[in-house]
Amino acid sequence: MAEKSTERRNFLKIAAAGGAAVAGLRFATQGSASQSASTAVGESPYKWAMVIDQAVCTGCGRCTLACRAHNDVSPDISWNRVVPAGEVDGKQVFVSRPCMQCEHAPCVEVCMVGASYYRADGIVMMDYDKCIGCRYCEVACPYGARAFNWEEFTGPNPAVPTWGQPEVPRRPRGVPEKCSFCYQRIDRGLAMGLTPGVDDNATPACVVACPVGARVFGNLKDPESRVSQLLRENPSYRLREDLGTSPLVYYLPAREENIHGHDIHDL
Amino acid sequence: MGMTSTIYRRIKITSFMLWVAGLTAVALVGVVGMGIVFVKGLSVTNLTDLVPWGLWITIDLSSIALSAGAFLLCAAVYLLGLKKYQPVARTATFIGLIGYSMAILTLLLDIGRPDRFWHAMVYWNTHSVLWEVTMCVALYFTVLLLETAPLFGKIPFVQRYLPWLSTNLEKLHHLAPFLAIAGLGLSMLHQSSLGATYGVLKARPLWYRPNLSVLFMVSAMAAGPAMTVLVSMIASRVSPKIRIKDELLEGVAFFVGWVLVGYLYFRFWDAFSMTYTYEYGRTEGLRLLTRGNLSFNFWAGEIFLGIVVPMILLLYSKTRKNPLTRMLALFLVVGGLVAYRWDTNLAGQLVLLSYLPSDLTAVYTAYFPSLIEFIAGIGVIAYGMLAVTLGIKYLNIVDHGPEQEEIVSEAIPLTAAAD
Repeated sequence: MAEKSTERRNFLKIAAAGGAAVAGLRFATQGSASQSASTAVGESPYKWAMVIDQAVCTGCGRCTLACRAHNDVSPDISWNRVVPAGEVDGKQVFVSRPCMQCEHAPCVEVCMVGASYYRADGIVMMDYDKCIGCRYCEVACPYGARAFNWEEFTGPNPAVPTWGQPEVPRRPRGVPEKCSFCYQRIDRGLAMGLTPGVDDNATPACVVACPVGARVFGNLKDPESRVSQLLRENPSYRLREDLGTSPLVYYLPAREENIHGHDIHDL
Repeated sequence: MGMTSTIYRRIKITSFMLWVAGLTAVALVGVVGMGIVFVKGLSVTNLTDLVPWGLWITIDLSSIALSAGAFLLCAAVYLLGLKKYQPVARTATFIGLIGYSMAILTLLLDIGRPDRFWHAMVYWNTHSVLWEVTMCVALYFTVLLLETAPLFGKIPFVQRYLPWLSTNLEKLHHLAPFLAIAGLGLSMLHQSSLGATYGVLKARPLWYRPNLSVLFMVSAMAAGPAMTVLVSMIASRVSPKIRIKDELLEGVAFFVGWVLVGYLYFRFWDAFSMTYTYEYGRTEGLRLLTRGNLSFNFWAGEIFLGIVVPMILLLYSKTRKNPLTRMLALFLVVGGLVAYRWDTNLAGQLVLLSYLPSDLTAVYTAYFPSLIEFIAGIGVIAYGMLAVTLGIKYLNIVDHGPEQEEIVSEAIPLTAAAD
């Protein structure tokens, strides 16, 4: 824990010192994010993260539905799962679980063909054309974030068009699939000069669809982004931190003092 | 006398043909099952996102472990200088070839995209133990092909019509010591790494321990040679034409008995150390093995019948010298290994851990293979038994006759090669 806070302090120092430079670099590299997959982690000006406020989340499940539509996911599969997680002061609390986009992802470590890999911006990606379908990643993932295509998904998607339009091709039978932080929206948005986490068209569909604003998305390398601010100013945690996977999905825990009538926009 | 021997011979031929026909029929049904799997995909299995690895992985792991006689006996003959065991090494090598082909076949069945099997050769993630296993299996299968090539060169048809091929295949004998070194290295790597495939997964606390790689290795060192000796003994009892030197088979069986002592020792400390203090997921997994659904498999299949009983039968000279009790012991060792692979694979997956911070309770799920998993899996096993039967009949893979002994002296001695 001490190590982590030191890390963050150092990071903030560096970020503050080179803030202008980072902003310039970020401008210069806009639109090239889609090619960033081949570069090493850390070379990108972006590190995408999601903050989910459990005091606000009502468990409505619209995140899951929007995800199904925009990523053309079968009704049998949920890339983003909403799970009841106990009560705080008599009020039901939920954990909404996308892929954690771990910085030390077990799925990437174990994949024998390298079909699971890190993008430079921290997104854990799947190369569905490379995958041989051995399911080792699925066995290795501590979060159950992966679902295998036991059957081909054919026919209409019931989440379309109510919850959005598909933006990526369907995955074939015989490969596992998972949440990608809507990389297609991020890459397209950056190419259009938009800011992921600020502009809806550059932000993951689940974040845009959340009716209560419980989800916040943004760049951890930008100290002024909302995710950076929220994590600086609030207590947060990540799922199964004991495993050392370092997820890029953070949760703001529901507490007795914020569970009733707390609004994330006041933060 | 003449009358009875004619009848006897006729029955012999018929029973062999029935055996082959039966195995062929089962294998063909298996082929139909595999066809259904390839056409319809893995939805015809009972595998789920919670238990993605099932019966086929068990067959895969078991056939590789039961093939371990090949590298051990080749190392004994060509590296340790125990030349008299060469005829047994021939048997083990052929069984190894068939065992690995069974494993490759089952893997093809199990992966979601069998059309992309070659990706494992082309796209490398050197950090993945399963990548290492795949490369080792591919390379070791090549070693086994080279090691068994002389057997194929000896087929009368090849000798008669393809003398050039026959001579060249037989010349590969000279490589035996080098192939033994390659086989030893590759086998020690992947036999252990198959355990490490489970052992490196932190998400599964029951698996997450270094011992699994050692235990997979040691159990294969017992069950591999056990399989070799068992097949040799069955073959010699079924066909009177097959000559065996029982002291060789008894020697290997004695070795198996001693490996079981070491294996029991490792298993004991491995399991015993896990009983201290509660650990989330691991304790539930251990409970599943010792008291839950897998407890009969664990206590009876793996420990008592799989290790303790055969260990005693193989170390006590009276029961070791008696062919029936020796065969029983070897059969139990083989069964114990399959039980161990099945239980290990399942115990780690049947315990479902929560990722919720407020909820540290583990729940259990279940898995039982579907009919099509059984049909395809049994088909692969029938293919293996058929191939070994035909090898015994037409390639004389179980034959301790004098002409086999010349071969060792033909091999380049390692000392000479080093000069």
